[in-house]
Amino acid sequence: MDPNKTEDKSTLPLLGRFLSWFTKTENSNKICLALVALCLALFLADFTYDKHGHFHIEEIPGFYGIYGFFMFTALILVAKVLRTLIKRPENYYGDKAIDGEDYPNDQLEQGSK
Amino acid sequence: MISILPTAFIFIASALILGFLPRGHIRSTILLATPVLAAWHIWNLPVGIFSQVEFVGQTLDMMRVDKLSRIFGLIFCLAAFLGNLYAWHVRDLIQQVAALLYAGAAIGAVFAGDLITLFFYWEATALASVFLIWARKTEGSYHTGMRYLIIQITSGVILLAGTALLYRDTGSITFERMTLGSLGTWLIFLSFGIKCAFPLLHNWLQDSYPAATITGTVILSAFTTKLAVYALARGFAGTELLIYIGAVMTLFPIFFAEIENDLRRVLAYSLNNQLGFMVVGIGVGTEMAINGTASHAFAHILYKALLFMSVGAVMLRTGTSKASELGGLCRTMPRTAMFCLIGAASISAFPFFSGFVTKSLIMDATANQHYPVIWAILVFASAGVLSHSGIKIPYFTFFGHDSGLRPKEAPIHMQMAMGLTALLCIIIGVYPDPLYALLPYEVVYQPYTMGHVIGQLQLLCFALLAFIFLMRSGIHPPEIRAVNLDVDWIYRRLVPTFYNIIHVATVKFFTYFDSVINDFIQLTIKGLYKLLGPETGVSRMRGVGSMVVWVAILLGISLISSYF
Repeated sequence: MDPNKTEDKSTLPLLGRFLSWFTKTENSNKICLALVALCLALFLADFTYDKHGHFHIEEIPGFYGIYGFFMFTALILVAKVLRTLIKRPENYYGDKAIDGEDYPNDQLEQGSK
Repeated sequence: MISILPTAFIFIASALILGFLPRGHIRSTILLATPVLAAWHIWNLPVGIFSQVEFVGQTLDMMRVDKLSRIFGLIFCLAAFLGNLYAWHVRDLIQQVAALLYAGAAIGAVFAGDLITLFFYWEATALASVFLIWARKTEGSYHTGMRYLIIQITSGVILLAGTALLYRDTGSITFERMTLGSLGTWLIFLSFGIKCAFPLLHNWLQDSYPAATITGTVILSAFTTKLAVYALARGFAGTELLIYIGAVMTLFPIFFAEIENDLRRVLAYSLNNQLGFMVVGIGVGTEMAINGTASHAFAHILYKALLFMSVGAVMLRTGTSKASELGGLCRTMPRTAMFCLIGAASISAFPFFSGFVTKSLIMDATANQHYPVIWAILVFASAGVLSHSGIKIPYFTFFGHDSGLRPKEAPIHMQMAMGLTALLCIIIGVYPDPLYALLPYEVVYQPYTMGHVIGQLQLLCFALLAFIFLMRSGIHPPEIRAVNLDVDWIYRRLVPTFYNIIHVATVKFFTYFDSVINDFIQLTIKGLYKLLGPETGVSRMRGVGSMVVWVAILLGISLISSYF
């Protein structure tokens, strides 16, 4: 089906219609804002209780948030560099691997909604 | 001594009668009933050592029942049940028998009280499971299965060699806690390490799991590696080396998973990373850490199976598990999408999901023993888990860009298997006490503290924020059709290339050597020909007449000489 065509949403299951709300571009800003608000609330929540972790570094307000944000970014950047080094065409290992071949049709139960 | 039926025999008996039953629902029912019966059997077992048999002068302990073996036995039964429910539609007898024997062998190994029994079941898991890969019936899966089998059998052979050396040193084959030192213990350690996918020994996992059938991968994901985790927990608890091995295991797969296109291979890398957490727990070795490892293995088998199930359902409907070809499937496969999200939340250890209440035991046990660097690596690896299993799997399959595919929802039995597994993931997360009660040691632990919940939510939500930031700025690497090199390149490319070079060189050398010898022989023959050939004086033909003349001359000479 052509993704650019507007499809009749009423044929989708109820849960499908609900989930597809998250895929719309016009809603992505709302999702983004909600997440920023959640992160802010979680950061502020750090001031509401006595922090006593195993290590001193855990007592910094928002330590886990800062660590998570920067380490996640670092992970993606390193992975990008890694890809340039180890990426090969899909049929690199030829017929000795499954990467270039299709899954046998007789073991599938395909069908469109 | 009380003799009881070894639990593995229930599976073996079922596998034997399966072929005589009519195809269809009756066989599928037996596949479901067997693990239920086995779980009931394990549940009612008393603690102790049973079913001893004599074998070439040794006493084999077929059933050693304690809390550690019991929890692994139970989760293996549960995994077999859920996997077989998911595979209800499969009518291939080979896969059905393989699934039963594989689960039975893994359970047999868990209850093995000595290293010889362990060896038998260790090899049996390898032999049974390879059929789940070959059942795909393609050229690629045949070769992949061979590679898998060679590595798994090698692991068993090393185990046997280690056992023999250990027996020479200690005179005992009992499978109990060992200390690394002698060659025998190192070999056993290496053997466990291969099956546990230690760094550099790991690649059979990512190579073979995506090559199995849709249902086969779900079953494969549960047993082999967790059997190795059990074996390490039994044999090498408190071995400090394992802390560092485990930390590396949590770390390196997250980079590979990030750029991998085949989602089943992403899950295999993710499985490797989760094993890392368990191995760290074994290395720390305190009661809390071993509890953490056992409970994490339990929870992990469920959410990993759930993720493999959801990707498998997508594959059944679309024919592919490649992220570059998928996207936007939440519209027509919303239930599968929800189950996948629950699996993703569980593996990412969101509060109220199973990973949260089990992984934190390992994290806290590590922090308690003052390993700050290891602890920091584990926290980083937790963010990494969110990246590939928590975000990548559901986002690029069910959300993300619209692939235009509108497949049907998964078959009803698959939905039931996924639904049941998802329910267990949530129940464990919300109410962990029954799981804690099954653990090897008493649990004095409260996962739901304010600091713990807020800290974990911060880590995950800020990482999610980073993901959105990277996606919007176009920095996040796109999903593209490609394969990525890993250690298996050494035995799939380097060694064959090297072998080829030697082969070509050898052939060239002998061809040259051959031609030199040939030339020599030719020259010799030619020389002899010239010297003694028909052209030469030696072999010139002479007429009979000249011969008669010469005879007459000789006779004349002898006549004349007789007168003197």
